[in-house]
Amino acid sequence: MKKYYKDTIGSRIFDIFNVVFMIVFCFFVIYPFYNQFVISLNEGTDAMRGGLYFYPRKISFEGYHWLFQNPHLLKGAVISVFRVLVGTGTCLFATGLLAYIVTLRDFSGRRFMRVLFVVTMYFSGGLIPTYLLISSLGLTNSFNVYWIPGLINAYYMLLIASYIQNLPESMVEAPRIDGCSELRIYCQIILPLSLPVFAAVAVYLAVQHWNAWFDVMIYNPSGRWDTLQIYLRRLLLEMDMVQNLQNEMLIQSKFKNLKPLTFRAATTIVVTVPILVVYPFLQKYFIGGITIGAVKG
Amino acid sequence: MSDIIMENMPVNPKQSKFRHIFKKVKKERQLWILCIPLVAWVATFAYYPMYGIIIAFIKYVPGKPFLDCQWVGLKYFQQFFESPDLFLILRNTLAISGLDLLFGFPAPILLAILINELAFKRFKKFAQTVSYMPHFVSWVVVSSIMFTTLGTDGVFNEVLQLLGIVHEPVAFLSKGEYFWGLITISNIWKGIGWGSIIYLSAIAGIDEELYQAGAVDGLGRFGMIWHILLPGIKTTIVLLFILQIGGILNAGFEQQLLIGNSQTREYYDVIDTYAYRYGIQLGRYSYGAAIGLMKSAIGLSLVLITNKIAKKVSDLSII
Repeated sequence: MKKYYKDTIGSRIFDIFNVVFMIVFCFFVIYPFYNQFVISLNEGTDAMRGGLYFYPRKISFEGYHWLFQNPHLLKGAVISVFRVLVGTGTCLFATGLLAYIVTLRDFSGRRFMRVLFVVTMYFSGGLIPTYLLISSLGLTNSFNVYWIPGLINAYYMLLIASYIQNLPESMVEAPRIDGCSELRIYCQIILPLSLPVFAAVAVYLAVQHWNAWFDVMIYNPSGRWDTLQIYLRRLLLEMDMVQNLQNEMLIQSKFKNLKPLTFRAATTIVVTVPILVVYPFLQKYFIGGITIGAVKG
Repeated sequence: MSDIIMENMPVNPKQSKFRHIFKKVKKERQLWILCIPLVAWVATFAYYPMYGIIIAFIKYVPGKPFLDCQWVGLKYFQQFFESPDLFLILRNTLAISGLDLLFGFPAPILLAILINELAFKRFKKFAQTVSYMPHFVSWVVVSSIMFTTLGTDGVFNEVLQLLGIVHEPVAFLSKGEYFWGLITISNIWKGIGWGSIIYLSAIAGIDEELYQAGAVDGLGRFGMIWHILLPGIKTTIVLLFILQIGGILNAGFEQQLLIGNSQTREYYDVIDTYAYRYGIQLGRYSYGAAIGLMKSAIGLSLVLITNKIAKKVSDLSII
């Protein structure tokens, strides 16, 4: 935007104040992560003394070394990645298909399908009936609980539908006359043409799946399908587990200097880094998504 | 020849309508076949749990069909209203969302205005990118960071001691009195940048001619913020404020479960965490479902009322 106001002293002072404020603000956002990083790189016994602010005092990679030989954590990482891929892929495909169906102007079931799903945005059974349903379907302690209950999202359906609606209708008419099946039209014409909105929704879904922990906790009590997030939660809140880990380290006399403070910090960094690396590049997609949502209201 | 006769014969209008529908469905059979799994999914995972709310009115025994269980009517609702926890739960819920409304609501507006006023484009972009970073990390990560930085031997306490503000480390995480402040600050920290995006896009939508006209009228920088920018995003502000009031019973859930502990329960326990604790952890399914139902009934009517008001305020609405 062009400047329309005159440069007064007040305005200059405001500018300085504003820049200083923003630097402080950015510091308060970034520093907590950075502090974790510093702690994760410091030797455990030394870190317990405190006073670690901007750089590690005694550099040690033990925390990460421990992480990358820890079978639980490696398994958790694989399951987390798998969950992101399967959960995002299936939800995107199913929700997109539904969005395509509800935008077909001539389809007589269009309104019915739309209403059927929009209602679920405002009414839901709530936590406990859903929990009982999932248990009675035998989905507990299985990987399927990560993607089946969240297969379709009505809000994302509206988001994608508002995009598909603006595509020229002739795009689908010609192949339909040629006898192309609806599923193929969706996969080969609608999907590639709506890539921006699918990308935006994919970002939301991937982040959501990567960060999910509550459903893992209540639906996977056995721990067989523990994801990274839930593993970190265990390290933070389950004191007996941390005690066991430390006993194990003592017995094996490996990682003697590793302390809960440092291995928690290292795990936090490992859980956070994939998101921090990915999100700045995806900005234009999710901001696009918000604006579509805002216009549609 | 026979076809023509058939067509000219007077047919029962009902039958013709039926035939018309049949023909249409036949033509659209591909689409209907695609709809079957979608409908099956929504029936199972969205509508069946709605039917499952019935357990709030029966004495549910796990494994027994709902209809075979004893009907108890509003017993569990009454139990909740008579429970000694009611006051604490309501107090915490309203306090936490009240604080969110008071501080968490204006924060992104202020941030958006300040970001908008930044002159260097690069820095503007950088500040914005940094600001919504916390939105993308999970509450588990946020709680981990809080445990390390705010714990008795964390950086925050060390700095406070260095500055001489406190002489003994303060146990921020295990003292109930700090919990509301703690959760408000962490909510703001996590949500401020993300919340500012919508205001920034509203600011970007303000007609530039207004600024030109303002310059002609002799408005200074602050005058422009006050007389042009703020009125320009007023509808967005009012709309989002109303919507947030509609969600006043949602005082957070994940945060409480992760940051709260047994020492701070008196201050962190809100309706959602209470329903979860009784309904799932303690296995009192019916009681938990009753509380959940009550909360969503009140919550939904609040949303509907506020949405109606929002519609009056602007042409936008969420429904």
